[in-house]
Amino acid sequence: MSHFYYLLGHFNPVETVTMSKKVITREEWEKKLKDVNIRKEDMNKLVMNFLVTEGYVEAAEKFRIESGTEPDIDLATITDRMAVKKALQSGNVEDAIEKVNDLNPMILDTNPQLYFHLQQQRMIELIRCGKVEEALEFAQEELAPRGEENQSFLEELERTVALLAFDDIKNCPYGDLLDVSQRLKTASELNAAILTSQSHEKDPKLPSLLKMLIWAQNQLDEKAAYPRITNFTTAALEDPAV
Amino acid sequence: MVVNQESEGNPIDLFRLASRWRSGAEWKKIVEEMDSDPVPSHLNTINSSGLFHIVSMDKMSVLYTATPQHGHDVGVVQADCPAPTKRLAYYFEMKVKDAGQKGQIAIGFTMQHFKMRRQPGWEANSCGYHGDDGYLYRGQGKGESFGPTFTTNDIVGAGINYASQEFFFTKNAKLVGTVAKDIKGPLYPTIAVHSQNEQVTVNFGKKPFLFDIEGYMLEERLKQQAVIEKLSLQPDVNYSIVRSYLLHYGYQDTLRSFEIASENTYPSVPANGFDDQRDMYALDRRNTLRQLIKNGNIDSAFQKLHEWYPQVVQDETSIVCFLLYSQRFIEYIRVGQTGDAVKYARSQLSKFYSVKSYEDLLEDIGGLLAYEAPEKSCLGYLLDIPQREFVADAVNAVVLSTNPAVKDAESCMYSCLEKLLKQLTLCSLEKRALNEDQGEAFYLHRELQSGGRAN
Repeated sequence: MSHFYYLLGHFNPVETVTMSKKVITREEWEKKLKDVNIRKEDMNKLVMNFLVTEGYVEAAEKFRIESGTEPDIDLATITDRMAVKKALQSGNVEDAIEKVNDLNPMILDTNPQLYFHLQQQRMIELIRCGKVEEALEFAQEELAPRGEENQSFLEELERTVALLAFDDIKNCPYGDLLDVSQRLKTASELNAAILTSQSHEKDPKLPSLLKMLIWAQNQLDEKAAYPRITNFTTAALEDPAV
Repeated sequence: MVVNQESEGNPIDLFRLASRWRSGAEWKKIVEEMDSDPVPSHLNTINSSGLFHIVSMDKMSVLYTATPQHGHDVGVVQADCPAPTKRLAYYFEMKVKDAGQKGQIAIGFTMQHFKMRRQPGWEANSCGYHGDDGYLYRGQGKGESFGPTFTTNDIVGAGINYASQEFFFTKNAKLVGTVAKDIKGPLYPTIAVHSQNEQVTVNFGKKPFLFDIEGYMLEERLKQQAVIEKLSLQPDVNYSIVRSYLLHYGYQDTLRSFEIASENTYPSVPANGFDDQRDMYALDRRNTLRQLIKNGNIDSAFQKLHEWYPQVVQDETSIVCFLLYSQRFIEYIRVGQTGDAVKYARSQLSKFYSVKSYEDLLEDIGGLLAYEAPEKSCLGYLLDIPQREFVADAVNAVVLSTNPAVKDAESCMYSCLEKLLKQLTLCSLEKRALNEDQGEAFYLHRELQSGGRAN
């Protein structure tokens, strides 16, 4: 019996080594954090990049003055881009298309998918206003030919046309198409296309870095217990789970 | 009170705040040095047996001179140091000058005490791609079918992908294949020759590689990015982080425009009431101070501080005072009033000479006097906008620390954004440290420089 326990005692440490993770206490972690240096200028650039990419043109201008950070794009181009976005967000798809073409006709010419989504949005707006016949006509003339070219376009077209079959369109299975989020989705696709055409990154860096933080924390989780940050708006450290 | 603590304890702490008293060039160097392992540059002539082969004078080529009798007279040569690990990937190439009698040439990785008369891959903890059969050998005498054979004039490469933990091999600019890296510990780039007149030359990166290693690494990064981009964030988190950043640093005009513009998208103010209040503290005053310093009006900033927060400027030798006095001096230099600058330094800066930790910094700003065109000198960065911003940030921080509602002074020194970025950097460094120092760490500076994510 004693021999058996001896064996257990012998194997136990081996087990703990393989089972448990390295623990980094809050104190140790905070000390290490102190040694990490982030440049103010770099943070400013990150914020400027966010303002510019998301189209906060006035804020970007003010930030340039207040922080001395140069934007990485001509601020005038943001105004045009925002006008397009605004038109789309308020349901004025034709106006948005016209404005994009004024900006650069290549954008829609080279993006059939974006163009289809804009036309689809136009149809959704018609249905929203109850212009059923106009919507149907538009679907047959403008959308159907494109649907034939592309299977995924066809599916989306079918979903959209299906809206016409319901009296209470808001509560029908395809009601999500009428949601504001659908407008935002199309608007952000258009925004990205314009940015790309201006050889600017289409997404701000900040969200990518925040996602990278989620990823990096998850990765480190596999190897160690350490103070995590789960609430990004307070950035408070949590005690390591031991 | 916090200020006193700081100056009694470690006075440099205030310099940590955000930016640093360092030029851009110095910053670049610091980041580069952080990850600078030694990189192999030539072949090691000391530990190779030398019985069957000769390494050239420039230590870049090897020639098999003997007549091989068996499997224990291979001519193996390692690089002068192991492959560096603190990066995404390591890679080197060799050119087969002459495949000799049998073309029994190999390229791969071995550990320090490898048996130098055996082909890489034949012994445990080694890996090699062999030219005569195109097989891959991983620690056993028996190889596995892997890629094409290689011979005279072929350029063959071997690399380690630290992100995917794989070895990869190339032939004439094409990727041949990858294989899991199951060896732990430092790995030496290794080549081997094993029949008469076989001759190979290595390239450790002094000359451009034939294989597009940059493209390979970019692809690897994009793969990682695609995984990361799939993660989801709370929709308004970006907004509230930017907003609290503007609040924290007192960029009041920007904040106003930002809030007006986002009224429709984010109608409700983020609900983290306490943090919001904390960030709001003394916003108007902080903004005024920032503007004064930003415009080089240090005297007025001093005056306001004396009026509003006498406690932070009470101690004349505190860091905040030092920074303000220094900046005043710098402003004299900027407008070319050298005489006034000297006078000012004598009356106001001399008291800091007794404080050891200011020595280097005093030397720097004093050095400005030595140049006819200081803005073009190596100290020119002191005259740049970021230096004013740095001083303004330090003042901003000490004002924030006077908030009676704040218990943890350290935490109010940093914006939420900075805390998150620090966390990200530290997580990546710790993860690497727990992974035998393998892989790339995150540095914001490098991340912003690389750019081009859209492509």
